[in-house]
Amino acid sequence: MSFESLRTQLQQAATTFADGPGALEGILLGMVDDVDRAVSEPLEIFPVCHHSPASAVAMARRLRDKQPKVIYLELCEDMAPLLTELRNCRLPVAVQAFSSEVDGFPAEWAPLSVVAPITEASAEYQAIAYALDTPGVELVLVDRSSDHVFQWQPPETRPADEDALHGDAVGVEIGDLRPRFAELEEYLLHHGKVRHWSEWWHQYVELPLGDSDHDTYRQVMFLIGSLFRRLAPGDPRRVRVDEDRERYMWTRMREHLAVSGADPADCLYVCGAFHAASRVAEFGVDGSDGFVISPRSATVWQHGLIPSSHAAIEAQFGLAAGSVSIAATEWAKNLRRTRVTPCQLAGQAGGKKARKPAALPGPGPELAAADQLSGFLRRSPVLDRLDEAELLGWSVEIVRAARRNGYLASTADAIAVFETSILLAGMRDRARPTPYDFQDAAVTCIEKDVVPGRRDVGRLVEIMMGGDRIGQVGYDALPPLARDVHDRLAPLDLKLQQRGVQRALLDIASRPELEPCSNLLWMLRYLLPRGAARPIMGERKLGERPIQESWDLALGTHQRALIELGYEGVSVEQVVEQRLRRSAYDPQATTASVLEAVEDAVRYLHSPRLAGDLGTRALEVLAGERTVDGAPEVLRRSRRLLAYYRTNEPVLPQWIESFVRTGYAHYCTLLPTAFTDEEAGVDQVAAMLGFLFSMESLALSLGCDRTQLELAVAQSHPEEPAKVALLWAARVHLGRLSRAELRVRCDDLLGNPLSLPSYPRYLSGFVHALDPVPSLVDFVVETMSNAFAHLPDPLLLPWLPTLISTLRSRGAQFVPLLIREAGRLFPGRLPALDEWVPPWLDQPAPLAARTTSGTGLALLAAHPATCDAVADLLGCGGSWQAAPGGAVLLSRHPDTAVALEALLAT
Amino acid sequence: MSDLLRAPAELKYAEELDWLESVDDNPKPFSWRLSPKMIRLFVLGAERSDGLDREIAQKWFGDRSIVERAIVTLASDRGLLLIGDPGTGKSWLAELLAAAISRNSTQVVQGTAGTTEDHIKYSWNVSMVIAKGQSRESMIPSPIMNAMESGTIGRFEELTRSTSDVQDALISILSEKYVSVPELDTDNIVFAQPGFSIIATANSRDRGVNDLSSALKRRFNFVRIPVVTNKKSEAEIVRFRTEELLRRHQIELDVPPTLLDVLLRSFADLRAASAAAGSDDEKLESALSTAEQIGVLEDAILHSNFFGERELTARSLGSSLVGSLSRRAPEDLAIMNKYLHGVVEPRGKDEGGLWPEFLAGGRDTIATLS
Repeated sequence: MSFESLRTQLQQAATTFADGPGALEGILLGMVDDVDRAVSEPLEIFPVCHHSPASAVAMARRLRDKQPKVIYLELCEDMAPLLTELRNCRLPVAVQAFSSEVDGFPAEWAPLSVVAPITEASAEYQAIAYALDTPGVELVLVDRSSDHVFQWQPPETRPADEDALHGDAVGVEIGDLRPRFAELEEYLLHHGKVRHWSEWWHQYVELPLGDSDHDTYRQVMFLIGSLFRRLAPGDPRRVRVDEDRERYMWTRMREHLAVSGADPADCLYVCGAFHAASRVAEFGVDGSDGFVISPRSATVWQHGLIPSSHAAIEAQFGLAAGSVSIAATEWAKNLRRTRVTPCQLAGQAGGKKARKPAALPGPGPELAAADQLSGFLRRSPVLDRLDEAELLGWSVEIVRAARRNGYLASTADAIAVFETSILLAGMRDRARPTPYDFQDAAVTCIEKDVVPGRRDVGRLVEIMMGGDRIGQVGYDALPPLARDVHDRLAPLDLKLQQRGVQRALLDIASRPELEPCSNLLWMLRYLLPRGAARPIMGERKLGERPIQESWDLALGTHQRALIELGYEGVSVEQVVEQRLRRSAYDPQATTASVLEAVEDAVRYLHSPRLAGDLGTRALEVLAGERTVDGAPEVLRRSRRLLAYYRTNEPVLPQWIESFVRTGYAHYCTLLPTAFTDEEAGVDQVAAMLGFLFSMESLALSLGCDRTQLELAVAQSHPEEPAKVALLWAARVHLGRLSRAELRVRCDDLLGNPLSLPSYPRYLSGFVHALDPVPSLVDFVVETMSNAFAHLPDPLLLPWLPTLISTLRSRGAQFVPLLIREAGRLFPGRLPALDEWVPPWLDQPAPLAARTTSGTGLALLAAHPATCDAVADLLGCGGSWQAAPGGAVLLSRHPDTAVALEALLAT
Repeated sequence: MSDLLRAPAELKYAEELDWLESVDDNPKPFSWRLSPKMIRLFVLGAERSDGLDREIAQKWFGDRSIVERAIVTLASDRGLLLIGDPGTGKSWLAELLAAAISRNSTQVVQGTAGTTEDHIKYSWNVSMVIAKGQSRESMIPSPIMNAMESGTIGRFEELTRSTSDVQDALISILSEKYVSVPELDTDNIVFAQPGFSIIATANSRDRGVNDLSSALKRRFNFVRIPVVTNKKSEAEIVRFRTEELLRRHQIELDVPPTLLDVLLRSFADLRAASAAAGSDDEKLESALSTAEQIGVLEDAILHSNFFGERELTARSLGSSLVGSLSRRAPEDLAIMNKYLHGVVEPRGKDEGGLWPEFLAGGRDTIATLS
């Protein structure tokens, strides 16, 4: 075959239109060279464009004609084992390579994710379906592995769109064909009188190529690939990656040909038209072998299928909204029109009912390819005939859809839309309105000044034209973890594979078999994003058993998240354990966060072994901590854990005993510093004291020494009033300070005009002291009452917000305590208030202690002289003697005993 | 048409329209003077690829599909309602379309609170009625009725400013395409000739003043004209309109591109500030449309020409920016003051150029106005 005549014509054109045979000629003739080279390659190259129904139809036709034995496909080579699982899925789905533990890449890139979405209306699906369902055909993926994707091109930081089904994965697709610089694209759009790239492609490539034969299709696609490549190579880094990929693919193909001994004539290489016009030295079966494929990094990759959607594909690859859906509709229509039988994987979920794969007729004779390009380029575009029935159908359908969405649309509008579509298409030089013309017409005729519902007419047309189709990964193609989750939730009797929110009611009291489901749901709530499993009623606290729960479950909607969990382990429990361990062994972990992991281990996994491991880790972290920032949290969590173990376990676990012992020593050591340190807040010091006092008995029983605490308190010399008050409270608790002394100190503060302004801060300290020393509550009420009674307003009022916020933040603990005590002290009724005296003012003077020691009496009897002298002085005569014992009195006066006996006998 | 202050589009571009009509061999709907494709070409300008022998300038700047939708609507059974913010070029597009389709863009009814049904149907010449009685001779047809009779385009400006009973009178005109004159015994129906349609404009900021009834809504196709935010197109529009203005006033003055850039950037800044403002007091009352921008430039040009050095300076531009946009004292003045000192002053220090002079002009005017 020769393109000589075309070459001559282009040369003439270049001379005519350009000033001389310069750059233009180079580009034009170079393009013909590219086409020539690709066409004459012994290994047949099949150029495709992504989401192009024309490519898919041409592919289906070619596969039947040629019936190749080996198909090389431009797709990451490590994704091959998954392709057979596509039959269990409803398309579109994406093949995903995922790695959360990177080795060889910067840690901040993690998790790495590559997705390759596959739709039914694509040429690659045709190739895959043919290869997998035809015996004796081998499918070989030849593009660089997912690992190389990141080796060659660092991921761009993109804001992750939460709605995007692909998450923030890097997308790879077969047949990326688009001008590489904006000006060219703008030029094409402007002169093509179209709005966006998808429309341009549809009108200027899809339609003219629709029914063309194989040779024309190939040559035109080669030409377009070459055109974009030669006119606008674009970013040099991207070009280098592209060329490396081409070298990679050809190297792999030659390797495969050498090993398998396949005849290149029986093979088909499916790649983007852009790569078909490659000029690298490695191109072709006879290309050079200089390319060395770099080894993969040590990163471990997991592979799976995740659901995809038309909208997600459009968003990922920058296509116009609705274009993939329109491509799907076009594909279906082309199939009906051309009567091409598409390839479909046997048992494809969501597809049409699987026909029995008819035996393929023998391959058609290979005809020598002729120059189809000259004729094609000279031919005026074939206009698609007006399909009146289809347009009428669309017009009626859009009016119905508009009515459903609140528009006042009527049959008159359907007529107007129909008419306007034809007029618009006429203005744009086409006989048949494209879906985009129809969209414009519908917007013109139906859209008024406001959109009544959620969707406007433009969106309704998109939905009507196929809408966003969301794929689903079938049960059999799910990773073991996800299958296990569905199996274990089967007793709930819900269709959890479906999208949407479903309410699960778990009456565990009457159906105890649901308890494992509840456990699993709590774990899923911990692992999955918000909304996947949301408890409506019921909570899980340490040591509590569920009775009744209700959940909103949307596992179908969050299928990707569930599948990605499957990359981390084979069961949910394993993943939870990994996550807990990871958070506990994180270098940034604090004692509080490790204790939280311990709590979670107990709550979700009921695993004493894991809790013990993590507890031991908490011990290590605590010993290494030098700040007391997390003390309140540590106190809260360790109290909860202790309470749990005391009520649920026969003996305390070893780790928590060690934790209390270590904590006691640790906080004793840090206490004097914390009291004086400006960084440590009063609540943190209060929490430390709380830990020390509330765990004291346990710590002492485990061998700690109270002297350590006493010394620590003695060493503490805070200056800040709140901490001073805290220290006083601690000393009261330890018996080093009496309440009377404490009261005197407070009264002194109130009485001294110099210290009066700091009184509220002392009071704050006392409020915080309620945690470690709850017995002081009456005193706190007293000091607070005194504050309200004696403090002048300019001092009292600014302090009130502080008091309120302290009480609010600690409300659950302190307020009931304070209110109960205040209720006890203050009069309950108004009349009683007049006579009420605060108990702290009403205390009688303490009576002198009367010693009743027996020694006095004995002394009196031994030295009667003093007593006699006093008797003489007072004028008392007679003699006296020491009183006899009680028994003697009883025998001398028996009446009392007799009467008592009679009383008891009755 | 140098003897008119402002010639309507069909006179201004008469020569261009004649030429287009002479080369137009595409099918034309009804009695249209040009085919839809040629009308699009007339409005949006011709390119080399259109294969015309002469240059056709772009007259309206905006999305191609808007113009296509508008033309197609007029070729269909329905009226065209152009809706958008003030200053987005609705009326200009309406005028261009009417001129291109029927060579008459002056059949206009202006919608106001005082517009009555007579203004859109017909009224009577009282002297004639007294002299000759009620007849077709003594009837004064409205511009819309004239358009009906001649099968041309009638225009209705600011449809939503007129009251609902006036709007309702349009319903029968748009659906039945005739107006009956019950006062006459014979010849009492005026039928619309093929080619008649109505282009109405409505200000989207007036929504809620006199809402259109659903019956009228369905007789109009709505085409929304967005505010131009693309800097390149906006620069084109301002340049185009300014040249026209200079020609009209026969002023020979050069508008340096750097000055145009200052104007465009200051409007972009002010728009961003308005979009971010929380309450009405924090944003300028002006809609900051492209028309407003042209107004500022026009003011500066006229001022420089008649009172200045016959040279457009950044100082006079700054001065007319403040003068044109400060409608409310003290709110608008305070915003302009904040803008000049918060944005222009630092920019002047960083970039230099015309900004310091622009700032000085603005400052002077604020001082004068305060």
